[in-house]
Amino acid sequence: MKKIDRKDFLKIGAGAVVGGVAGYTFSGAPFLGFQWLVEWSQDQYVPAGGVEKYVQAISESCVNGCKVSVRKIGERAVKIESKEGVCPSCLNALQLLYHPERVATPLKRSGEKGSGKFKAVSWDEALKDISAQINKAISEGKANSIAAVNKNESINGLLMEKFVRAVGSNNVYYEPTWKSLTSQALGGYIKYDFAATDYVLSFGAKLIEGWGNPVEMQKVFVDWKKKGVKLVQVDSVCTRTASVANEFVGIKPGSEAALAFGIANYLITEKRMTSTGADFAKWSQIIINKFPLSKVAALTGIAEDKIKKIANDFAQSKNPVAVAGKGAYGMSGSSAEIIAVYCLNTLVKSRAASLVKDSEISYVAEFSGIDKFAKEGNFSILILNNSNPVHNSVYGEELKKKMGKALVVAITPLINDSAAYADYILPTLSFLEVETPQNKAAVIKQNEAKDAKEIIISLASMVEKAKAAMPKQVSDVYNISNKEVAAGSFSFNVDKIKNDIDLYEKKLTDKEYPVTLVPMEVPLVCNGEGLAFPYVLKSIDPTILKLGKFYVQMNKDTAKKYGFSEGSSIKITSARGKIKAYVHLTDTVAPETVAIPLGFGHESYTKYGNDKGVNPKKIMTADIDPLTGIADWWSTRVKIS
Amino acid sequence: MIVKDSKMKRKWGMAIDLDKCTGCGACSLACNQENNMPIFEDDSDVPKRVAFLELMKVTNDRDAKFPDVKTAYLPKMCQQCEGNDTHGHKADPPCVSVCPAVATDVGDDGVVSQIWSRCIGCRYCQTACPYEARVFNWWKPEYEGTFKEGLNPEVSVASRGTIVKCTFCSHIWKRERDKAVAKGILDINAVTYTPACAAACPTGAIVFGDLNDPNSEISKLAKSDRAVRLVNAIDDQPEDKKKALMEKKQYPNPKVYYLTSQKWLRDMMRFKKNS
Amino acid sequence: MVQFIKNIFQESSKNMRITLYVLITLVVLFAIFAIQILFWGLGYTDMNNNFTWGAWIIGDLGLVALGGGAFTTGYLLYIFRVDKLRPIINSTVLLGFMCYLFTFVFLLFDLGQPLRCWFGFAYPNWGKGVYPASMLTEVFFCLSIYFCILCVELIPTILEHKVLIKNKVIATIAHYMHVLMWTMAAAGTFLSFFHQGSLGGGMWGVLYGRPVWYSPHFFFMAVVAAIAGGTSFMTMMPYIAGKVMKKEVVPMETYQILTKVSGIVFVGYFIFRVYDVYTAIVKYAPMNFRDYFDMWGGYYGIWMLVLEFILIISAIFFLVQKKYREQEKFMVIGATSGILAIVTSKLSVLLHGFSVPNFPWKGFTAYMPTIQEWAITFGCFACMILIYMIFAKWFPLFPHLEHEEHEAHH
Repeated sequence: MKKIDRKDFLKIGAGAVVGGVAGYTFSGAPFLGFQWLVEWSQDQYVPAGGVEKYVQAISESCVNGCKVSVRKIGERAVKIESKEGVCPSCLNALQLLYHPERVATPLKRSGEKGSGKFKAVSWDEALKDISAQINKAISEGKANSIAAVNKNESINGLLMEKFVRAVGSNNVYYEPTWKSLTSQALGGYIKYDFAATDYVLSFGAKLIEGWGNPVEMQKVFVDWKKKGVKLVQVDSVCTRTASVANEFVGIKPGSEAALAFGIANYLITEKRMTSTGADFAKWSQIIINKFPLSKVAALTGIAEDKIKKIANDFAQSKNPVAVAGKGAYGMSGSSAEIIAVYCLNTLVKSRAASLVKDSEISYVAEFSGIDKFAKEGNFSILILNNSNPVHNSVYGEELKKKMGKALVVAITPLINDSAAYADYILPTLSFLEVETPQNKAAVIKQNEAKDAKEIIISLASMVEKAKAAMPKQVSDVYNISNKEVAAGSFSFNVDKIKNDIDLYEKKLTDKEYPVTLVPMEVPLVCNGEGLAFPYVLKSIDPTILKLGKFYVQMNKDTAKKYGFSEGSSIKITSARGKIKAYVHLTDTVAPETVAIPLGFGHESYTKYGNDKGVNPKKIMTADIDPLTGIADWWSTRVKIS
Repeated sequence: MIVKDSKMKRKWGMAIDLDKCTGCGACSLACNQENNMPIFEDDSDVPKRVAFLELMKVTNDRDAKFPDVKTAYLPKMCQQCEGNDTHGHKADPPCVSVCPAVATDVGDDGVVSQIWSRCIGCRYCQTACPYEARVFNWWKPEYEGTFKEGLNPEVSVASRGTIVKCTFCSHIWKRERDKAVAKGILDINAVTYTPACAAACPTGAIVFGDLNDPNSEISKLAKSDRAVRLVNAIDDQPEDKKKALMEKKQYPNPKVYYLTSQKWLRDMMRFKKNS
Repeated sequence: MVQFIKNIFQESSKNMRITLYVLITLVVLFAIFAIQILFWGLGYTDMNNNFTWGAWIIGDLGLVALGGGAFTTGYLLYIFRVDKLRPIINSTVLLGFMCYLFTFVFLLFDLGQPLRCWFGFAYPNWGKGVYPASMLTEVFFCLSIYFCILCVELIPTILEHKVLIKNKVIATIAHYMHVLMWTMAAAGTFLSFFHQGSLGGGMWGVLYGRPVWYSPHFFFMAVVAAIAGGTSFMTMMPYIAGKVMKKEVVPMETYQILTKVSGIVFVGYFIFRVYDVYTAIVKYAPMNFRDYFDMWGGYYGIWMLVLEFILIISAIFFLVQKKYREQEKFMVIGATSGILAIVTSKLSVLLHGFSVPNFPWKGFTAYMPTIQEWAITFGCFACMILIYMIFAKWFPLFPHLEHEEHEAHH
């Protein structure tokens, strides 16, 4: 046998290597290697599987009481479904449930107020300290310096109201809703029977965009379409409600009340209609003298004939109804306007609008409304029940200062603009983690947070004075029944609103501030609550927020007049301050008007909600309404440059 | 498993009634949740945004001035184009024939599929799509911390650098089908389903169903006078001219119908001379 | 090695040193940003879901079209035996090789999943017959095969290096490769016709959903464009090299042949382009219910079309007429116009094409490449220039030059 020499050895070696490489290549292994490299280099996340299950849940934190069906994979909730429709915040429940910035344990402030520095404490420690301070205030005879701000009239809100009143304080407030606004202006809130009406005259109420009870209104809208109910929308921005309306009446911003005065004037003088409300004679005299049709036409920019036609159509319909309360989620309206619009209902004797009250919610407090409280109120303890007045109130800055001197307790799942100034943050559960009489909790608790009801009850149990009046355990809460009861008779309250009516015309024609700033609402953002949720951010239109730039909308002709073009920057100055934004040109906005998206400009609302746009409330008019105690901020006179 | 009748008879289609749409955005939220859309801190880079369903705000201020203007929200997802046979050519959606890696195809139920893990990210299909319905993962899809808990295991998380798109939630069909099979129903045509957007619509504006079934609601809606397809002016042509054109040239021929009684919306579907 | 590089810098003139510094800086930037793009994705570019392609595809289109001069020249030399083209063929082949090489580089950057690039071969979209369904599948295959051919064509240039050619075996191989090169040229031309058409035009022409691009003859027009522009490009590069080296690297008569070809083909291209615009106006735009002139707007307006036509006419004017072409400066103006005409047309296909709104309620969009895109684009060009310089310095890129030197030596 021939000895294998070095050369042969190398040949064999080289052959083996070549063969090996060829074999490896043609085996496809390198390609699999590539595939593996792709996966490894990208770290693809694979959601865990599991058994599919559907469970039911009812929301107690929203006023609509949304019913949802939760799709679960194992213990994880992956989808919210509903056959009946849900409000945006309930539809977002999963994004809240699994929000990485959810507060997991009770927090105590550890830095300066507003610095956002907190440290975790136990429930016991937090509740003990808070209740001790409440007890101290009560024993010192300062029970009335304990205040609470509720987000809405849900069960949680109701329970908080009960607690504050039991403590001996009169300081319980609600963020402006259509209910709280009208209750204060009219002595009861207007219950609309939208199913019975055949003609709806809306004064800027964004009826299908979240006004009132959004779930209910969606159904009403479908019903109207079927029945052919006529909807007339009066507004200075062409919203979706304006577009689905049978008629859109474009109006100069802020002059909605003038139109109501004009129509009332016409119906009273020409059609000899009267209202049964107290002070009607006095009121009608003012209106007839001050707001003849010619002047109304000038103020509103709507021709006299058109006003007459609207008035005639309204009066001649079988069961017409006029709706006040501008906005969808951010509600606003002066009492002069609410009264004037309700007067129209009484003039035509509408059967679709009646005044009612809630048996458990009076809206009667130390101050007539939240803005007045923020401006003038004094408190040593403030409890924020899921509310965010710092962001939502035009007096947010003032409130912030006052919160610096008081004990502030925020009951909330996420640290919002107001909670950032709190001394204690008591985290609440998502409604999916809460057991209700109908359902078990849909998902297991994600952290140490507690149900808002439970928090309020445990707090109450530690406050001597409140103990007796409050439910002992969560199941007792459901025994509180909040019934609808008839409201007292309707009064025009002329003495209180006369001054406002007198000044109204002047306000509309301020020469120093020639342009009007009005808010516009964005789908899913609501009044800012939605911004913490990434899937809401995903649906924001590029005409509102694009590449970090925040846009206000302006009429093309107006833009030309003031020298703006698409995308140019704009400084908006009101008597209260100035803000900066960019301009988007669109004729969906009335001339001489700037429409600014509402709900943006959070100072502290998770990293998703922060640093996005500006909060127009900072510069919006802050004249407090004499009846509602809420600023009529909807239209603000500004100058632009 | 031997299935007796295994030929797919259904052709899924969608009708979106813009007269009923309130622009609430529920469809968009539901879609994002169902399809595991990536979560970014700032999603205001709209041109690079990853979402299957775009809630387009449409106004007619091109044609009108305040207060004669109108606003609508138009939920736009993949239009599931069908294409049309021309000169004996096989009909294909604009995006399918161009893919160099066969990552996208038309199913026998008419749904244009997209396989995330096959896509090489050349974006040719995106270029071909006249509806901007395909989106590219410019950044790595992120799901911060506990957000991962809410992910749907039926839709795989895409890699960076791949094209993703609406597939009419066809994983829900599969889910329904699996349930039927578990019950012993093997007929492939036994199940129908509802995509996430249609299920979430509170006013019932989104109708989904089988276009091959002449009695289905969708078939009737698709034939109604109110039906118009996105920016597809060929729908406005007289029937014979339309037919002649369709033989000469391919058109996307989508299976998503928009219903509107509003003239302004129909006008906005057409391009007009620049002023 | 360091000494070697030092020497290069010391030997060079001041201008050359500055040029080298600039080119090397660009290459370094290219390397840095390449890592960023490959590891962290295309988010750093200004491309988006609407402007799906950007600078790199413009680079691709331009390089392939201009690199197409290689197949024309090769075809003329090896098939038609226009021997006067021999002095330029090495340069042409190198340019073609680099154009295609960097087309691959650009394409790789443009892929969202560069690691999956082999899917194009593993799962090709072949439709039913032989002809691929996807234009990109065709690009994948034709481009790769043609690139291989260019590699083969380039080998003799390397083998003819004065050190290597001394080896008998290598000399024989080089010789026979030259002799058999016509087969490669023929195959290359065949392939080139396809991918010129597909990448340059067919890719866009088949997009029936996009009225701005849809045109069935776009494929063929791109082939003509590549022949017209490519020959100009193949003239200009050695011409510039000659100016830099201050030597006659390629005889004037060679340039004349190529520019004449370029000019004549530009006449064809002009007619084709006029036909293209005409059919778009009267047939294809209306078929999509769009107005052709309405689609020109935004930043990339009708001026792009006007500019393109001015450049085409300039190329024709200076290159077709013998009296102008034979004057060096007019030949240069003509050939440069020709190159620019093709570049403009590719820019217009891409920038204008993507900027056109798909929905009547949307406006024209714009695209501004980010630093990453600029760096990678110009970094690639810098690489190309450096490679060309290396070949010009150390390899027999210009046989004519060596021939001259040889003569002088004697």
